[in-house]
Amino acid sequence: MLSNKIIGILKRELKDKLFAKSFIFMTLLIPGIFVISIGIQVLIYSSEDTDKHQIVIFSEVAGLEKHLQKSINSELKNDFQYVVDVREIPGTQFNKEFNSLKPLLLNNSISALIFIPKKAISDKHVSYYSRNPKNSQIHNRFSGIINQAIISFYFEGKNLSENDIQFAKENVRYDELKVSEDSIVESGIGAEVLSFLFIFLLYLSILFSGQMVLRAVVEEKNNRIVEILLSSVSSNELIVGKILGSAITSLAQMLIWLLPLIFILSSSWYLLPPELIVSVSAWQWLYYFVNFLIGLVTYLGLFAAVGSIFDNEQDAQSGMWPLMMLVMIPFFIAISVHNNPNNSIAVSTSMIPFTSIMVMPARMGLIDVPLHQFLISLTVNFITLILIFPITGKIYRIGILQTGKKPNFKEVLTWIKMKNL
Amino acid sequence: MSVLKIQNLSKNFGKIQAVKNINFTVPENSVFGLIGRNGAGKTTTIRMLMNIYLPDEGEILFQGEKIDSTFKDKVGYLPEERGLYKKMKVIDTLLFFAEIKGIINQKVKRKAFEYLERFALTDRANSKIEDLSKGNQQKIQFISTILHNPEFIILDEPFSGLDPINTDLLKDIIIEMKKEGKIIILSTHLMDYAEKLCDNIAMINEGKIILNGNLKEIKQNFAKGRILLDTDSDLDFLKTSRFVEKIENFGNQFSIKLKNESEHQQFLLELLNNKVNITKFAANEISLHEIFIQLAENETDEVKNVK
Repeated sequence: MLSNKIIGILKRELKDKLFAKSFIFMTLLIPGIFVISIGIQVLIYSSEDTDKHQIVIFSEVAGLEKHLQKSINSELKNDFQYVVDVREIPGTQFNKEFNSLKPLLLNNSISALIFIPKKAISDKHVSYYSRNPKNSQIHNRFSGIINQAIISFYFEGKNLSENDIQFAKENVRYDELKVSEDSIVESGIGAEVLSFLFIFLLYLSILFSGQMVLRAVVEEKNNRIVEILLSSVSSNELIVGKILGSAITSLAQMLIWLLPLIFILSSSWYLLPPELIVSVSAWQWLYYFVNFLIGLVTYLGLFAAVGSIFDNEQDAQSGMWPLMMLVMIPFFIAISVHNNPNNSIAVSTSMIPFTSIMVMPARMGLIDVPLHQFLISLTVNFITLILIFPITGKIYRIGILQTGKKPNFKEVLTWIKMKNL
Repeated sequence: MSVLKIQNLSKNFGKIQAVKNINFTVPENSVFGLIGRNGAGKTTTIRMLMNIYLPDEGEILFQGEKIDSTFKDKVGYLPEERGLYKKMKVIDTLLFFAEIKGIINQKVKRKAFEYLERFALTDRANSKIEDLSKGNQQKIQFISTILHNPEFIILDEPFSGLDPINTDLLKDIIIEMKKEGKIIILSTHLMDYAEKLCDNIAMINEGKIILNGNLKEIKQNFAKGRILLDTDSDLDFLKTSRFVEKIENFGNQFSIKLKNESEHQQFLLELLNNKVNITKFAANEISLHEIFIQLAENETDEVKNVK
């Protein structure tokens, strides 16, 4: 199937891309940037607020104070970040107290002032005064404390045991069970994470190697190497060799990224928390890889065709945006199907050309996709690849030797219709 | 016997007719000049020869058979606009171009080093292309054109960018290849080189062949009644001379067409009588350059086939 000439082109591409210093650099750099950016986020989040906070809680409800104190003592036992002052006051006195503390609120000596009115016992509405009422950290901490105090107060004297009250305070928790044709299993997020990882890597690979192919094509055209190449190989052999070279490079890169992950998953299977265990069949793995390759090759062909239209990089960048949309739209749909992988948009886009490449794996990570939909998706992707290749090949063949004036869209369409090239 | 036959070849790009129904034959064991102005249609013709473009009409026969993609392996092509991978090493570049012509073996590596030695580039074998001078890059390009030992070599402006010593070296190699029985097509707009190297030529103008045949015969044909005269004297009096049809002034050299080709002796006498200081007088002489200008100016549909 592969002629010696394609292998010659492929070997040069691999030497240029896979065995280049830049490949090693990028392969390490991208996860590095990833880890660093996540690390920075975590750092910002965790060190977001280590300042001491003075919180004042006024309660109009007689008898709530001791519950609040108890709740504070148990919740903030090891947390010395907060100094909480709880006072019981009559409602009429609140304004006076508020006005006297207002300067301290304004100069941040007091971070928040919470007023629990009498009716909070029935509707759980409390007032929160602060210079920064959106501070979620204090919100989250104190809504729980106040809620527990109100619940304890509410059931006090109703002849309920401490256990009953504790039970009443608990939230409902789901045990997620995934129902499929032949089993009902506890649903983990492992498969979902893996499918999104594949989609994300596909997205990254298309963008990176797509631009790389585009730049290489523009460079070959600009340098006029292409004329010499075409005196030895056909334009189809050239484009196939180039695309295979880039696809293999991307696949190798993805394997390098995934192998440690696969190794960890398989060697420490029982040490992982159950929700992270991945129940992905060998077929599904195979599908992900095949889908990755089909998607990559389809898009790389398009990038090469767009590159061949232009003879300098600036023009090529401007001509690339429709293609970028064709990569980004499926990616964002794939990410958003998370909420409901069975809504009509998710189902239809998982079976139409281009979007299917990313939306179908996303759905597969979440649910058991009906077999017919899966087969339609796979067929659509194959047909897209088979149809798109002669078209991109044609554009490439004509574009690559055209110099001078930048062709417009209409001209490119006439290239596609040309019979004798 | 002709080896390469181009028959009724046409190529259009949209409304532009780049090549219009051209015919010529390239005999074996010869250097064939494809000459013409910039944009005349030479490159399009060459690209059709290389099977890079498919002709709209007509056909190309090599040794009596229609060319196909395997023909590419028999050809070495040096395009006018050179291009090499800048980051690639010299020796890798040479081996890569041989490989895509279908040749991978130790012999080709040895041959590559032989050529590098001939062009005094052995010590640069492991240098990157971008570290070479333009002239040296040019030499690498030339080596990559002939390394796979092609039967048929197309050289498009091979001398541009070369110093006189390397130009001579290249000329020697071209003559050597001709002696080895290879067919060489030299495409150029530099008539001087074409005149010195070519046995046969086809002149192309605005997509059409306007002259085709053996160079010697063409020159003989065009030279009849032509005088080449070198002088620093004033020749204004010749405007009214009864012998002269046309004078072209090249500064210190004049090309004069006589009304009657047998009257060059009488014409010489007229010059002497008018005390013209003659440093060179050549009867029945014309340069390819003049033929080219003459034909390109008087654009004609008529093809001058000189047999």
